[in-house]
Amino acid sequence: MSEYIEQTTNFLSDGGEILQFEIDDAVYGIEIQYITEIIQIQQITIVPKVPSYIKGMMNLRGKVIPVMSVRSRFGKEEIPYDDRTCIIVVEWDGLAVGLIVDRVREVAMISPEEVSSTPDYKNVNMNHFIKYIIETGDEIKLLLDCETLVTER
Amino acid sequence: MSKFEPGMESMVDMYIYETTTLLEQLDQILIKTEGQGSFDKESINEIFRIMHTIKGSSAMMGLENMSSLAHAIEDMFYIIREEKPVISDSKDLYELVFSASDLLKAEIDIMQNDDYDFTDFSPCHDRIKAYVAVLKNGGGEAPAAEEATASASAAAPVAAEGMVTVKVIFDDDCKMENLRALLLVNKIREDCSEISYEPSDIETNADTAKTIIDNGFIVRFKAIDGNDQLVINGIEEALNVKSYEIIEEAAAAPAPAAAEVPKAAAPAPVAAEAPKAEAPKAEAPKPVAAPAPKADEGKKSVEQINNMLQGRQGGGGKQSLISVNLNKLDQLMDMVGEIVITEAMVTGNPDLKGLQLDNFQKSARQLRKLNSELQDIVMSIRMVPLSGAFNKMTRIVRDMKVKLNKDVNLVFEGENTEVDKSVIDNLNDPLMHMVRNAVDHGIEENVEDRIAAGKPAQGTVKLSAYNSSGEVIIVVSDDGAGMNAEKLLDKGERNGILTKPREEYTEREAFQLVMAAGFSTNEVVTEFSGRGVGMDVVKKNIEKIGGTVSVESKLGEGTSFIIKIPLSLAIVDGMNVSVGKSIFTLPINSIKESFKLHENQLIHDTYGNEMIMIRGECYPLIRLYKCYDLEPTYTNIYEGIIILVEAEGKTACIYADELLGEQQVVVKPFSPMFNDFNVKQYGMAGCTILGDGSITIILDANNIITNF
Repeated sequence: MSEYIEQTTNFLSDGGEILQFEIDDAVYGIEIQYITEIIQIQQITIVPKVPSYIKGMMNLRGKVIPVMSVRSRFGKEEIPYDDRTCIIVVEWDGLAVGLIVDRVREVAMISPEEVSSTPDYKNVNMNHFIKYIIETGDEIKLLLDCETLVTER
Repeated sequence: MSKFEPGMESMVDMYIYETTTLLEQLDQILIKTEGQGSFDKESINEIFRIMHTIKGSSAMMGLENMSSLAHAIEDMFYIIREEKPVISDSKDLYELVFSASDLLKAEIDIMQNDDYDFTDFSPCHDRIKAYVAVLKNGGGEAPAAEEATASASAAAPVAAEGMVTVKVIFDDDCKMENLRALLLVNKIREDCSEISYEPSDIETNADTAKTIIDNGFIVRFKAIDGNDQLVINGIEEALNVKSYEIIEEAAAAPAPAAAEVPKAAAPAPVAAEAPKAEAPKAEAPKPVAAPAPKADEGKKSVEQINNMLQGRQGGGGKQSLISVNLNKLDQLMDMVGEIVITEAMVTGNPDLKGLQLDNFQKSARQLRKLNSELQDIVMSIRMVPLSGAFNKMTRIVRDMKVKLNKDVNLVFEGENTEVDKSVIDNLNDPLMHMVRNAVDHGIEENVEDRIAAGKPAQGTVKLSAYNSSGEVIIVVSDDGAGMNAEKLLDKGERNGILTKPREEYTEREAFQLVMAAGFSTNEVVTEFSGRGVGMDVVKKNIEKIGGTVSVESKLGEGTSFIIKIPLSLAIVDGMNVSVGKSIFTLPINSIKESFKLHENQLIHDTYGNEMIMIRGECYPLIRLYKCYDLEPTYTNIYEGIIILVEAEGKTACIYADELLGEQQVVVKPFSPMFNDFNVKQYGMAGCTILGDGSITIILDANNIITNF
């Protein structure tokens, strides 16, 4: 796993594959090497006394993994789950987490010239969830920093 | 591992295990004798033996540096043993041996790295040499130390009177025949009053391996009490011995058997004489074959053989213990856990609902019984006493005593308490940190301060362990100065780790600050502590195994760190209770009873807190849905169920919707992500997967009672 992650440090210069997903109308991406699988919404057991964006935990073939809603992580209002709601399971360093997203799109190959850094202003991207901005054709995608997204308090 | 020959790699684990155990023994002996102030004969012999074994096995593994260091120490103790020099400065000697033991341990630690390279022990060698010189001068006589062991054992290669000469041939291609021979000699040495061998320089000269291959290895010995057979058996059982031949029988002993023994491969002759020898013949054809040389009468030889066999079975203490790879035990444990879940899935299968199944139920009960026995056995296999982990601390305390110049006594209590092996492994580091803290910060810097406070000049650090309601509790306490809550808060404020206004901190909470990351009360970083990474590592390690750490302290009286670890990491008997849509599992051993509430039992105090009166006792009421912000099915207290729980002497009533039934559950630790939010503090100990695949949270009654 670690060797994959090392590669990602050069996303800005080398580009790479990302999994695209949508929340509301915005398109986001996660580097492909973090992702272990994409599953339908599952039964989620509530865990009390944790921030509201952590929805609880689910049983993934005998493994108990936490699930968080990316939507509420971004401070957006919750919407009811429908048949397009998906859980993206990401894993690195032995920490597996499920991310609930509205819709999953296809995997896209991103070339380096499409990638640009995030503007470094005080009020923009305060929590550093966004790693890079990707511009393809007529669409803007935001590449998320998966580790910050999951672990930052 | 690349340093080891391919054929040796499988032995590396064994070697490391053995040598580590031996070095620990060494430390214990040293600490014991240091307390007494002098070496007694027994412990010198023991140290000698330990070093000898390490020397032999290290040489076999090709670790020349370790082997030669062990050899040097062995020589030194040889002089101490044989010449009994006046040891003027035993402190130096202890320091020397301790440091050598540390070097060896460190070497073992790094050995498993791929890029492992031999460490140069020559500084230590020089110190030992210098000390040996001092010893010799002090002792008067001065024989050549290097030659000491060799000359003692290989003094007379000529057969003396009453000696038996045996020629040993080793397995083809067993490699390093000289060291195999050395091991053989070591093995039989204790049964012999005299021993010599040829070639005599097997220890030091690797070329002798070739000689041994060509000519065989000649051993001459005189057994203690003339019990030659015992020695011959020893030779037979030694590793890699292909065959042996008795060349010269002891002249003094009558030797009717000599003719029969020439090649140890023929098992037949004794079988007729010795009816009881049949059974062992099957498992060990060779040993029985050699009849006792003193077989004056047939009867006696049968007796002897029987004794011998019994001895072998009784002495099988060694063989009745095996060491198993911990991974295999973990797998076994996981497997048993899966079986328990599957059993619940089968017996509680929804397809069976409403069916009358007498025979099925009977079989199911039987299965459950067997499963729980299986579990108990697997658990007990993995249980190890804490004494090992505790004993390691004696060494640490000893070193710190010397370095910090504090007089500290380490006391154990309940060190025979058993915990799961995986717990022990995760406990070593935390214990070390805590003991260091206790000695470094806990015990007062100046003896005068202690005396002024009316305490004995010698500080005490106590390690105690005991079982309490399904948990093992380990307490590290000192009788030092205690912690000052105000100072902790000052420090916390400066380091910016306070999470709420200072005034809101209770004394108890202030103490817990020492376990926050980046907190160290020691202004100066010492060798032992003060980097501020100690206690939070302790906390993390303990949480990893599902335990908790708390601090209690009284200014001027001392500090205690209390570790609570679930006794069984894996499987608990639980009662499932529902609160709204959520299901929680309460460990059965904390439940005293459950009941529906009657009108007159509910009392309110002046603040509106609810209490319940049961048989004249009053208990606080904890509504789970309120604690956890859940939507309950019933808010009316008379509709739900009250569960009386007890943990560590505290009792309270928990209110839930209903009881769902009893089940054995396999505890799974929370994802580290949840641990970051301190869910344990809110009474959630872990989670489990039920038979239907749903997840429940396992509650910890104690934390619920204390925190809500």
